[in-house]
Amino acid sequence: MNDSTTSTEMTDPPGRHELGGSTATASPARRWQSPLSALTRTAGGIGAVGVKELRGRMRGRRAFIILTIYLLLLGGFAWMVELIMERNYSFSFGGNGTYATAAIGQGIFAALLMLETLQVAFLAPSATAGAISMEREKQTLELLVVTPITSLAIVLGKLLSALVYVWLLIAASIPLTAVVFVYGGVAPEDVLRGYLVLVVTALGLGAFGLFCSSLVKRTQAATAITIFGVLVMTIGSVFVLIFWQAMASADNGQGSGPIAGAPPQAIAYLNPFLAQVDVLCGTETTFGGWCSIENGLLQTQTGVVFDGGPVPVPMPLVDPGFNRGGVFVDPEGQLVAGDVAPFGAARDAFWPKSVVAWLVVSLVLLVLTVQFVSPTRRWRLRRGRRNPEAAT
Amino acid sequence: MSAIVQTHGLVKRYNGTLAVAGLDLAVEPGEIFGLVGPNGAGKTTTLRMLATLLRPSAGEAEIDGWSVTRNPDEVRRVLGFMPDVFGVYDDMKVWEYLDFFARCYGLPAAGRRRMVADLLELVDLGDRRDHYVQTLSRGMEQRLCLAQALVHDPKVLLLDEPASGLDPRARVELRELLRELRSLGKTILISSHILPELEELCTSVAIVDRGDVLAQGRVADIERRLRFGAVLRVRLLVEGEALEAARDRFAADADVASASILEDGTIELGFRGDDEAVARLLAESVSAGLPIVNFARAASDLEELFLQVTAPDRQPPEAA
Repeated sequence: MNDSTTSTEMTDPPGRHELGGSTATASPARRWQSPLSALTRTAGGIGAVGVKELRGRMRGRRAFIILTIYLLLLGGFAWMVELIMERNYSFSFGGNGTYATAAIGQGIFAALLMLETLQVAFLAPSATAGAISMEREKQTLELLVVTPITSLAIVLGKLLSALVYVWLLIAASIPLTAVVFVYGGVAPEDVLRGYLVLVVTALGLGAFGLFCSSLVKRTQAATAITIFGVLVMTIGSVFVLIFWQAMASADNGQGSGPIAGAPPQAIAYLNPFLAQVDVLCGTETTFGGWCSIENGLLQTQTGVVFDGGPVPVPMPLVDPGFNRGGVFVDPEGQLVAGDVAPFGAARDAFWPKSVVAWLVVSLVLLVLTVQFVSPTRRWRLRRGRRNPEAAT
Repeated sequence: MSAIVQTHGLVKRYNGTLAVAGLDLAVEPGEIFGLVGPNGAGKTTTLRMLATLLRPSAGEAEIDGWSVTRNPDEVRRVLGFMPDVFGVYDDMKVWEYLDFFARCYGLPAAGRRRMVADLLELVDLGDRRDHYVQTLSRGMEQRLCLAQALVHDPKVLLLDEPASGLDPRARVELRELLRELRSLGKTILISSHILPELEELCTSVAIVDRGDVLAQGRVADIERRLRFGAVLRVRLLVEGEALEAARDRFAADADVASASILEDGTIELGFRGDDEAVARLLAESVSAGLPIVNFARAASDLEELFLQVTAPDRQPPEAA
């Protein structure tokens, strides 16, 4: 026990310090709250919560059995996709040729990436949706909050330990995804792009689940809201885009519809599937299916392609290769070099925006979550702030 | 000695309902301080404000000189809190549970192992070290929670209804444990609505009702101070008319509210005065020549007092 406290308190009541814990007027004896020590304290707290959560999550064989089953299923899926692709392309490319294996590689990559995105979209938020509300339900949160551990440490510890598990699943799939390099058609940087989107989306959706968990008291409700949110971000955003376009489209040449202008891309920023569509568009040898979907929904390729609207890009002007840059035809019909895919589609037109949007949203959600976890600094949303003296 | 736990005009309002109405408490270091009151008296709210879990609507509380509103972090370091209802984590072993909380207090890894062993020994869970927390009985959980509140060697312990839901043996064990903690120099603030539980344990009590302290101090002091309206029983060596005359004589005294003769010939006095008034009455009666055989207070324990001062018809403090 610290006996110096009693003596300090007589001469310099420490309770009178400024709000926010400024160090200026503090009694030197009790100044352990320097910014550096606050940082190490938070780091220690994250470690404490993280270790505790991971102990629970990784205990016994369960986590490893799940991982094994997951990889077996993913491997089986990739194999089946390969078989489908092989049968599809065996005649259209004459059963032979560079393009056929490239197309198979791209097909497997697309299938794996979409499946992993689906997995992240539901696993990451549901891994965190109970993290805070469960503690409230089991009445353990208070025991935690009365320790000097910061709310930030609780929130980050919970988030990171949940994400470590999701990220582990993502990382475990990398060797499997690397199979596509055997077939070609997908560059290592494409894989990198895809995984970057996965990792950041996991962070964002994890933060979203945690936010719902801190906002709502019951785990069941928090999980339901989280899943609903994910559906809104994915299916909902696509539907809004389609609806907007339909409403804005020209009405048999009789002027535009009730909405003017194309829908803003921002509607789909939080849709990880569309971000992956953009990544996959970058791998395509022609202005193919993924680019069409992307362009149809987000108009990312307009202005890059040709006069008279999107038309299929002709056969390669340069050798198929993985070099960035390339050539495309500008509206005057000139060949122009630019930072685009070799065959005309603009690369990286959408996913970087999605990644940045998720990073920003994660940050905002984390700040809000910390507020909701903190017992005395909680923002009052429903009732206005009341003057304590006024109502006496 | 200055108080280690102090509140000044502590107020907590929930949606216009006054849960705590200007509470003033002062707890000296080394005490076992009982916060007694019926359900809904504001005990839990008060403890939760002291534990930095609730922000007071008004007023101030200090623990070891730190303000609970301005220096919650410092308060948390000198404070161990055990809520009235709490849960334990699933999927955790007993030692991991304590180790986790020790980490939360930032205790270095080197000392944690030893500290966990010592604490488990203290709360008599040494042989349960590797058991899963959810397999413990209610009493063991309670002791584990107490151990958890002690990991950082706090000066002050806040225990909210620690004995609720415990069987008699577990209660006795808890009481022993609290005595031991007091001998280790801890100040313990304990709340209960069951008086006998606190009567033998506490050095001081505050009786609270409707968010207000009705009486506070050493148990004996409170008993003395609150004995207004106490019942005195007087036995005289006379019978019949002499007895009635004696009764009338008592009834004439300013401090006597009522005087009646019981079936066994004892005179029962409803008495308003304090101890000095009792002594004066006795002296006057003796000098007036009344043959008093027995002059005593009707046995009244803390519980009776408690019922008296928290009677439902008592005027509530000014409502919000």
